[in-house]
Amino acid sequence: MISDRVRSNLKRTFRESLLPKLGVTLLTVIVFVALFAPVLATHDPTRTGNFHENGGPYPPPGFDYTTTVSQDGEITEVTVTSTEKHLLGTNTVGQDVYSRALYGARVSLLVSLFGVSLALLLGVPFGLVAGYYGGRIDDGLMRLADIMLAFPALVLALALIGVFGSQPVRVPDPIVAAGLADGMPESIPIPGSVTVVVALVTWVWFARVARGEALSIRNEEYVKAARSFGTADWRILLKHVLPNSFTPIIVLATIQMAIIILIEASLAYLGFSGTTLSWGYEIETGQDVLRTRPWIAMVPGIGIVLAIVSVNLIGDWLRDALDPNIEGSERGA
Amino acid sequence: MLGQGATQDLIEEVREAEGLDEPIYVQYGDYIGGLLRGDLGYSWRSERDVAAMVVERIPATIELAVAATAIAILIAVPLGVISATRRDTPYDYGATLFSLLGISTPNFWLGLMLVLLFGVWYGIPYPTIDVGSGLWIRVEFVDLPTGRREVGLGGAVLTLFRSGSFGDLWLWIKQITLPAVTLGTYFTALITRLTRSGMIDESGKPYVTATRAKGLPGVLVQYKHVLRNTMIPIITVLGLQMGTLMGGAVITETVFNWPGLGLRLISALGVRDWPLMQGIIIFIAVMFVVINIVVDALYTYLDPQVSLE
Repeated sequence: MISDRVRSNLKRTFRESLLPKLGVTLLTVIVFVALFAPVLATHDPTRTGNFHENGGPYPPPGFDYTTTVSQDGEITEVTVTSTEKHLLGTNTVGQDVYSRALYGARVSLLVSLFGVSLALLLGVPFGLVAGYYGGRIDDGLMRLADIMLAFPALVLALALIGVFGSQPVRVPDPIVAAGLADGMPESIPIPGSVTVVVALVTWVWFARVARGEALSIRNEEYVKAARSFGTADWRILLKHVLPNSFTPIIVLATIQMAIIILIEASLAYLGFSGTTLSWGYEIETGQDVLRTRPWIAMVPGIGIVLAIVSVNLIGDWLRDALDPNIEGSERGA
Repeated sequence: MLGQGATQDLIEEVREAEGLDEPIYVQYGDYIGGLLRGDLGYSWRSERDVAAMVVERIPATIELAVAATAIAILIAVPLGVISATRRDTPYDYGATLFSLLGISTPNFWLGLMLVLLFGVWYGIPYPTIDVGSGLWIRVEFVDLPTGRREVGLGGAVLTLFRSGSFGDLWLWIKQITLPAVTLGTYFTALITRLTRSGMIDESGKPYVTATRAKGLPGVLVQYKHVLRNTMIPIITVLGLQMGTLMGGAVITETVFNWPGLGLRLISALGVRDWPLMQGIIIFIAVMFVVINIVVDALYTYLDPQVSLE
């Protein structure tokens, strides 16, 4: 599926530049964190009530704050200091911010992984068939694509979420099931309808790229040869057209992954995600207390930025190495 | 509409009056017919015409979108040029890092961090957050003890002409700066990248060598020829990115409580006001298509080789 020329191109650009290395390292770390979140977390991310003895949430180091408490009718000012128990402090309901940030990586990655896979499964077969056969199927697809593209992705996602509602799906945690992390939740909620919605707003990109590839590949000599042997169309599509359109689709998948992470976070921030473990949701809860407890909104945001930076760096690397003129590469959410 | 105690007769009457007894395709036809005449339907929840509710929110969104685009172009093009003409210098690395972070930062978080930085930590009188306001962040102005006053650009300019006072214009600038920077950062980053890579691509083309050989000074080559040719793909992407801009406006307006279409869309979603939601989304889609037609028309101006058939 990947030719030697492409492979050597990939290796050369990886060796020569710092940014791809940074991207791969960063993504590896994030995937590791997401996978082993129950082991790395210090607290159950859903357990509330971790408050300082003076009543407020714990701040991270450097964010100590003063608050007032009334004791026996007397109002006194007390300082709330950070604790080693909660590395990045706790949030307004007393949940551990560090542990929630780790679990947020899980939600973010799972949604983008499932979302991209679903979009691939929807868009690529559709696009390949349309491009290969042409004619009415092709016309129908391209009109549908035009209609889809007339709506900004985020606006369309909001509309679809409005229709579907936000249905979380509970996914059992294999690490906890294996007994590697005691006291952690046995299952975590993944925003199910958000995953479907991000696939529904991004599949059309895959369909367009796959169509473009199929259009040019169907006139290649080897396809004509296969057809003259009497090879069935589905077999040509599977054995010749799909493998040869692989490269641009992979590049697009990387770019769309970053966009999906962004859409998921945005939907969660707007309160349409259905799970409280999302980074976007955490920022939403932090914004009301931004002035006094800024870390609650800061920490998950850094998580989102790192995740998107890593995927973008890898996307840039793949694009530079594989295909500089890919459609959709500079179009966002 | 009728409440729980409605009689069957009354229900039938309303069904007939609203055309709900017609088959679905007739109802749909009515709706589409209305759309073509600019009738976006009726919001039962707000008891108002959707079209009016959309129209009154357009100016604020356009102000925000235009300000964001202006900031993006003003910062990004020079930044991209510096980055391209001084490749592999600290300037270039800085611009590259900035654009990488810019395209990777969700604008709602960026908005909050800007508010935190300018409004809270440095105490600069910019929009700040009203603590404990519930669902939405409210924008208030520290320098206005009377509380929030919203001014639109139109109103501010009118005040300027009527009384010669710059007060409202200044207030408007203060109100729009942070939201516009928040919305514009993604585009600034994107255009910086495009300008840089576009100029580097163009510089390698034979006509550049030819103009240089002709003895044209380097500066003139860069600006009159290379930059001008780089602008064509940038305009294309900007047009295509208007969708992202609209999506970003929805979020930015929510963060800053900016009274535009996006904020209205989110509140319509929150209360499940379907006719209003549908009307806003259709309007945004139509705007998006119109903008892209305008961008296509711009090509003929920028690139004489292109003509509209």
